[in-house]
Amino acid sequence: MIPVILSLFIFPVITGLILLILPWKTTKFIVIISALSLSAISVYLFINIDQPYYFAVPQYLNKVVAGFDILLLIYFGWIALRLKNWKIGILSALQLALLFYLLRVLPSSHSMQFMVDKLAVFMYLIINIISGIIAFYATRYMEEEDCSLSRKKYFLSVMFFFIAAMNMVVSADDLEYFYLFFELTTLASFLFIGFRKDPESVRNALTALWMNQAGGLVILAAIFFIAYNGYGAATFSNLMANGSASGVLIPLALLGMGALVKGAQIPFSNWLLGAMVAPTPVSALLHSSTMVKIAPFMILRLSPVLKDTPVAMVLVALSGFVFLASAIGALAQDNFKKILAHSTIALLALMIMMAAIGTPATILASLILILFHAISKSMLFLNAGILEKVFHIKQTSDMDRLGETGPFTSLAITIGFMSLLIPPFGAFIGKWLSIETLGSFAGNKNIFAVFVIIAVACGGAVLAFLYFKVLGIMISRSGEHDRIPFENTGTVFSVSIYILLVMLFTSMLALPVMLTGIFVPVVSGLSGVPLMAAYSGFTLQVGDLAIPLLPMMAAIVLFPVTVIVAMFLRFKKVDRAKEYACGEKINYSFSSFYFSTERVTPWFSIIGVLCLIALLVAACI
Amino acid sequence: MKGFIIPVLLIILAPFIGGLVHGLERIVRARMQRRIGPPLLQPFYDFLKLAGKRKMIVHSAHAFLGIMHFVSLWFALALLLLGGDLILVIFLHLLSTSLLILAGYSTRSIFSHLGANRTAISILAYEPVLIILAVSFYLVTGSFETAAVFNYDKPLLLEMPLAFVALLLILPVKLKKSPFDVAEAHQEITGGTEIEFSGIFYEAVYTAKWLDYVFCYTLVYLFAGNNILLGAALILFTFIYVNALDNSSARVNYKQMLRFSLAVAFSLAFLNLILNIVI
Repeated sequence: MIPVILSLFIFPVITGLILLILPWKTTKFIVIISALSLSAISVYLFINIDQPYYFAVPQYLNKVVAGFDILLLIYFGWIALRLKNWKIGILSALQLALLFYLLRVLPSSHSMQFMVDKLAVFMYLIINIISGIIAFYATRYMEEEDCSLSRKKYFLSVMFFFIAAMNMVVSADDLEYFYLFFELTTLASFLFIGFRKDPESVRNALTALWMNQAGGLVILAAIFFIAYNGYGAATFSNLMANGSASGVLIPLALLGMGALVKGAQIPFSNWLLGAMVAPTPVSALLHSSTMVKIAPFMILRLSPVLKDTPVAMVLVALSGFVFLASAIGALAQDNFKKILAHSTIALLALMIMMAAIGTPATILASLILILFHAISKSMLFLNAGILEKVFHIKQTSDMDRLGETGPFTSLAITIGFMSLLIPPFGAFIGKWLSIETLGSFAGNKNIFAVFVIIAVACGGAVLAFLYFKVLGIMISRSGEHDRIPFENTGTVFSVSIYILLVMLFTSMLALPVMLTGIFVPVVSGLSGVPLMAAYSGFTLQVGDLAIPLLPMMAAIVLFPVTVIVAMFLRFKKVDRAKEYACGEKINYSFSSFYFSTERVTPWFSIIGVLCLIALLVAACI
Repeated sequence: MKGFIIPVLLIILAPFIGGLVHGLERIVRARMQRRIGPPLLQPFYDFLKLAGKRKMIVHSAHAFLGIMHFVSLWFALALLLLGGDLILVIFLHLLSTSLLILAGYSTRSIFSHLGANRTAISILAYEPVLIILAVSFYLVTGSFETAAVFNYDKPLLLEMPLAFVALLLILPVKLKKSPFDVAEAHQEITGGTEIEFSGIFYEAVYTAKWLDYVFCYTLVYLFAGNNILLGAALILFTFIYVNALDNSSARVNYKQMLRFSLAVAFSLAFLNLILNIVI
């Protein structure tokens, strides 16, 4: 099994190197082959790994890891010097000092550096399959990018390095290793965001770098506290084993903070919002299958010891607030990618919240959200790229008449938004489970739960409104366009969208099967107690949670039928009428509500910072 | 609601019952204005008349979305009456409203667009309140399923009076009655999303409104628990209240509506939730 797992780490790196060397013409071929084989490996691992699988790598690699850490930090320090960014400089210097100290103090004999459990293989599935599709899409997108051929190759190869780093992040048990991989994803996103080299890209790349460096620093601090508290080697499993020891909350809170940085939760949300200056495949990658998903992953990994602690309470409160706040912040945006970014932050908050609560039902909700969000968001971002390259649209206010010029793209975006909103898609199930679980907390006289419910209920409504705001401009077409053929956006673009659409619909139709086949094993693997999942009549009993299947399945039939039939159905023998406009003959262009939220958004980051302080305070008490 | 027969009958007859409620409403409103008003069955006469009209549509997707709005609303109503999960019912109701909004947006008609925009705003106004109501029901009955509410042996009205008031305040938004009928606003945007439907295709949207009556009054009925008499009284009261309010108030604009429902109705529902936990 070890070679198969290691191949997930090494194979993308090799692909990245090959892409750099071979001519551009072969790129598409190499990308397809690697994406397919990486997906196949991840599926194989998902089927074959049931129990947590620990394995060690040769001891000399510990030295290599430490060496890479130092090199990386020196590189960041060099960037800080070159671009005169004192924040990055201070953070790298601090990390370097702490790292040297830790290397001296920590026991040098690492036992098992890697641990691949059901959660890790679940993440493999998402990382490799979705990123593979995005990489395939990028081969076409980059063709039109205004840069030299070698830069294009470099872009794709960074993409595969990123995939490798992500595969390693989710399988590291040793926190030193985890720290390196965490920093590697930081490096990759820094390179990506600064790819276009214009002043704005450089500025946003630096923002992303310093914020993620702060994340690295808190992880090192967590390692320090694990060593200081004497839990032995700094590994996730040691941390779990000492779940009830005194002082365990401090490393937990620090790791949680690291997760919040990667998950771009307020007050760290600026780096993800700035990431949209990069080529669109980067946004698709950062938002759906990689980078931000480290956040819910880390919280899920820690959830067995995290749940019911004051730290978890603060995390829940913070993410409840972020869910509402970023939904409100999105209302003022006009840029399509920015709107998507805000909605990512909101949904990530929901995932983190569910993971932090840590009951089987909420872990299930979190996993469902992770999967469905990855599919829907990557599809939406890929469409944003198509809008940019084919239709030359970046702002939602320019999308008027897209329904006539680009019916397929507008249909895909509609389905993407709806999948984040209404039954029977995963995002809805996440919201549903979260409200019901929080309700049961409130039933135990927990006033705190009430505020989170309020945040979820309001945030959900605001998000729904936000999606309509965008759709409203986009989907309109006049009666003469009743029968319009789908636009041709090129093979690569349309194939990648079709794959994601098929994935979206099949995962929705197969949800009852996937619940027992994919999600429940992951949940039981995480909580250590096997979670029972059984059908009784028309309800699926998962633990103490009953999911009514019949209405769900009916909704599952209802929605796709509606959307797809509405697209293809043509009423015969019915006359067509012009739209009513009081007899006026004016060409209208449509727009939507505009909300100015600039007045409140500065307060959001202040509340975010207060929550972070509360997180530390809760850990120390 | 004992057994299975009554809910199933109610579901099958829902459009008919809703039509009767609409007819009654027109009479009551007329009497309030000292008119005689149309006969009780006038909505059904209208229905038959519409069926005979020349078939005209703007485009097929628009017409079809209108039909699916009706179908999905009926489905949500069925789940509500059969004792399904209240949160799921609310989300399914959102699904059906979404389809109407999408229909409104899918044409290039200004009034249709304005109506869809305003319907989306009204979702923002009532959706959070409904979810909080559902959680309140859970806190009192211990289950999210409406079946538990229908079998609850004490009147829920006494345990969550503020929630009932909150529901009364958002009902005009949902039923598109004055002062909160911004989404439809006949004099202003000529019916909003409805404007581009005609003839047999308008039938779907028209009868969907009847279904919405049944849906809303069932929500009201929930507050009576298993007390049928109290339930009938509550429905009667709400019916008169909604129509009296509709007759006596002028339309506010969408901002005022949003501000009112978030500031007053939402706070009341929230307060009720807190009280349900504390007591």
